[in-house]
Amino acid sequence: MTPRSGTNRIAVFVALTVVGLLSWPVSQVQAAERRPNVVIILGDDMGFSDMGSFGSEIKTPNLDSLAKEGVRFTTFYTHASCSPTRSMLLSGVDTHLNGLGNMGEFTAPNQMGVDGYEGDLNDRVVTLPQLLKDAGYHTYMVGKWHMGKKPTQIPAARGFERDFTLLDGMGSYWDMWNFAAANPVSLYTEDGRYLRSLPKDYYATKTYTDKMISFIDANHGDGKPFFAYVSHQAPHEPYHLPKEWRNRHVGEYDKGWDALRQERLKRQVELGIMPAGTPLAERMWFVPDPILLAPAARAFFGKKMEIYAGLVENLDHHVGRLIDHLKKIGEYENTIFIVFGDNGAEGNDMFGMIAGSPGSRDYLWAANHWSRNQPNEWGDPGSWLAYGPMWAQVSVTPFSQYKAWLAEGGIRNALIVSGPLVKRPKGSINTQATMHVADIMPTLLEVAGTSYPKTYKGKEVPAPLGKSWGSVLAGQAESPRTDQDVLAWEVFGNRAVRQGNWKLRWEWKPLGKGDWELFDLSTDPAELKDLAADHPDKLREMTALWDEYARTHNVVLPNRAPFETLEDTLPKRVPVQAGYPPVNLKQQFVPPKDMLADPKK
Amino acid sequence: MNDENKLSRGVERVLLALALVLATNALWATRVSAQVPPRFYWKTLSGANAVPLIYNSISGNTNPFDPAHIVAPGANIDATLAIGGYAHTFTLFDRAALAAVLLPMGRISGQVTTGVQSVTQTARGFGDPMFELDVNLIGPPAQKNLVDALRYEPGFSLDLILDLAVPIGEYDNTRSLNLGQNRWYGRVGAPIVWQFGPWVPGRRTALELLPAVWLFGTNSDFMGQTMTTDPMFQVDAHLTRDFTDRLWGSLDGAWYTGGKASVDGVEGEKLDNLGVGLTLGYQLNDNLGLTFGYKSTINDSALGDMQMDGFMISLVSGWHPTIEGARRLGGE
Repeated sequence: MTPRSGTNRIAVFVALTVVGLLSWPVSQVQAAERRPNVVIILGDDMGFSDMGSFGSEIKTPNLDSLAKEGVRFTTFYTHASCSPTRSMLLSGVDTHLNGLGNMGEFTAPNQMGVDGYEGDLNDRVVTLPQLLKDAGYHTYMVGKWHMGKKPTQIPAARGFERDFTLLDGMGSYWDMWNFAAANPVSLYTEDGRYLRSLPKDYYATKTYTDKMISFIDANHGDGKPFFAYVSHQAPHEPYHLPKEWRNRHVGEYDKGWDALRQERLKRQVELGIMPAGTPLAERMWFVPDPILLAPAARAFFGKKMEIYAGLVENLDHHVGRLIDHLKKIGEYENTIFIVFGDNGAEGNDMFGMIAGSPGSRDYLWAANHWSRNQPNEWGDPGSWLAYGPMWAQVSVTPFSQYKAWLAEGGIRNALIVSGPLVKRPKGSINTQATMHVADIMPTLLEVAGTSYPKTYKGKEVPAPLGKSWGSVLAGQAESPRTDQDVLAWEVFGNRAVRQGNWKLRWEWKPLGKGDWELFDLSTDPAELKDLAADHPDKLREMTALWDEYARTHNVVLPNRAPFETLEDTLPKRVPVQAGYPPVNLKQQFVPPKDMLADPKK
Repeated sequence: MNDENKLSRGVERVLLALALVLATNALWATRVSAQVPPRFYWKTLSGANAVPLIYNSISGNTNPFDPAHIVAPGANIDATLAIGGYAHTFTLFDRAALAAVLLPMGRISGQVTTGVQSVTQTARGFGDPMFELDVNLIGPPAQKNLVDALRYEPGFSLDLILDLAVPIGEYDNTRSLNLGQNRWYGRVGAPIVWQFGPWVPGRRTALELLPAVWLFGTNSDFMGQTMTTDPMFQVDAHLTRDFTDRLWGSLDGAWYTGGKASVDGVEGEKLDNLGVGLTLGYQLNDNLGLTFGYKSTINDSALGDMQMDGFMISLVSGWHPTIEGARRLGGE
């Protein structure tokens, strides 16, 4: 190197640096102006078919408006229960690595003390709000957290700049009462401080929306985009609902769950959500045939669904308030909405699991705080209403099973994405893509112009699980995954793996077989026919994929699980076949009139 | 996890809950002092039946068997009264309706001043049976089945009632104190039930009003004289509230005006009385309800004012064939 050439290089370097320094703020500001806001709307336990745009009779015009302006995806996977899904949403990392290898409420003895099974979002992962905040986003959260209550675990410590949060997994929509005697009061935080009481006129869905609007307004106009995580408690049990929302569907559900599932599937086919000829999952064998129920019993169960429908409509109403506000302040057009439910609809009996034993501490607690259970007070403070497995099956139409289980009804959910990122035709439906909740992390980092780091604050972070939806939303690809990509799940010992259209599943008896089952989802999304015996090679191949997943993702199967004795508490499983047994269904035979006679004397 | 047994128990709970509603709404019937107790006009499932048995102990200066409440100034009348009856609910043009008959019986005695003489009179036996037809005009449709009962809330409910007493009760034309009144009489009224808050056992609150007009026929043989009575206007009011699923209470009030009696053209005073009372009710089981009440006139210091107070205990048995059948199955 000659001195001259060295001088020239220095001059060029200086010039480029000066130009770069002068232009950087401008380009960054321009980029910041162009970057869209993000609103994630999470419905808690909302099933695949509960929105009108996915076939529901429940009126959800505001959520449907997002579907009309955006794109719907029909093969979107979450996990089978709340906190595992939320942990993957916010960390992008598999549950067995991010701390939610099991729900904290059900950590098995052999999982205690094991990394990845802390029961809370662990400190080895970096969160989406942390990375977005670092990239210049405002980060706001309202609603349910369910990933840790300690000061180092709350939203303010995990990247949210503003929050109004229910830290627990469930509780009253009206007040701070929680469900278990050992955990009597729900914890809430606001901007990182634990609340002593709730605001006046508190109602979860309304207050969360009010707070989010206030957060957005507080910084509106400072040029920074925002990330808003609207993690609604609705429609999780207990179904608490203002009175004026309870009677919008009086009598509409007396027809029963079978008829409603058929109606929803028909609409799904008409909409293009499901292909023609899609089979409907069979009614679970322990759920009664509604045709055989007395009208009063149908009305009793129907009223539960009426309240649930009102709860979803109330949720939609408040989503509409947020949408309207963003339109009013001119941010709607520059906002990406991502809407989904966190797992399948709830068909398990949480009340029975926690407080179902007379004489227990939790039973006494429920007697004092959760016994307002006359039908006319369903929705009031102190009532505990859940709609049961029969309506949960409706919510997951056309799939089988529900929350906590790994049939499609437990893990497959409706997904709507709208906003500036979407270049596909408005209102289109993508039935080809296989999407996963962990994809949201890379997708939004891409939107923010940043990327997932290998290390964060000096610590190595686990590899992300997901794949960006960027090319799919742009209309350049049909799916972020190929047929060779693998998705896998494990919670409570239930486990599944999907590759292409093949799905391998192991579940506790009697919902599962206590053994591997194999399904072809292309022809059997309702998982009606176990093909394990017919396809031994595929079974081996898929089992190997599971083994590989378990080995590489720190899976420790639990030695205790909430469903370990389920087989002893449910009736023996039998196939449910329409028309059997005929004894209850045969109509009165009416003889020909000309053959009628009085008895002879 | 729900299972079939739990679902069956859920259905059973529906029926039992409705049975409770049925019995809770059973007929707290009495006509003592021409005042109905709280919750009398609450609606229940069509096809329900009730038998009330009511015991009253009443003192005052008027005959409690006579709804006209003709005051006998200075009199001291004691009555021991029982009322038996039967009521049946049904549907009339999709509206809730009730037909009832009530038969008073008992003893009455008192010191009565007739002219300048003060005599003690006693009567015993049966009073005039009264028939009542009640049809709801404004409010939810009749509870024709368990589905309707499940969804029922009164909101604002207004009925039309027609009462008619048949003069076949014990009557002695030599006495001024009788159980029967020896004349036709009846009432036209518009009972109102106005719900406040949730309609759930343990939490129900209602304001009840009964504006009504009593109309009296002529007693042509009142101790050999002819007695006529002007129409009497009445407003009963009850503010009733559940304390628990089974225990409830009520603040009761009543106002009467009019009803001026004339005996052979000699006019008496018209009534203008105010009474207040308290009622406590307790649901013993799904079929049996017990109430205890006390009421008394309050603006009664003048000699011609009506003075009356009384204790009341009632036991009402209510049933419905469907509920009874379900209970029989449940007992197997």
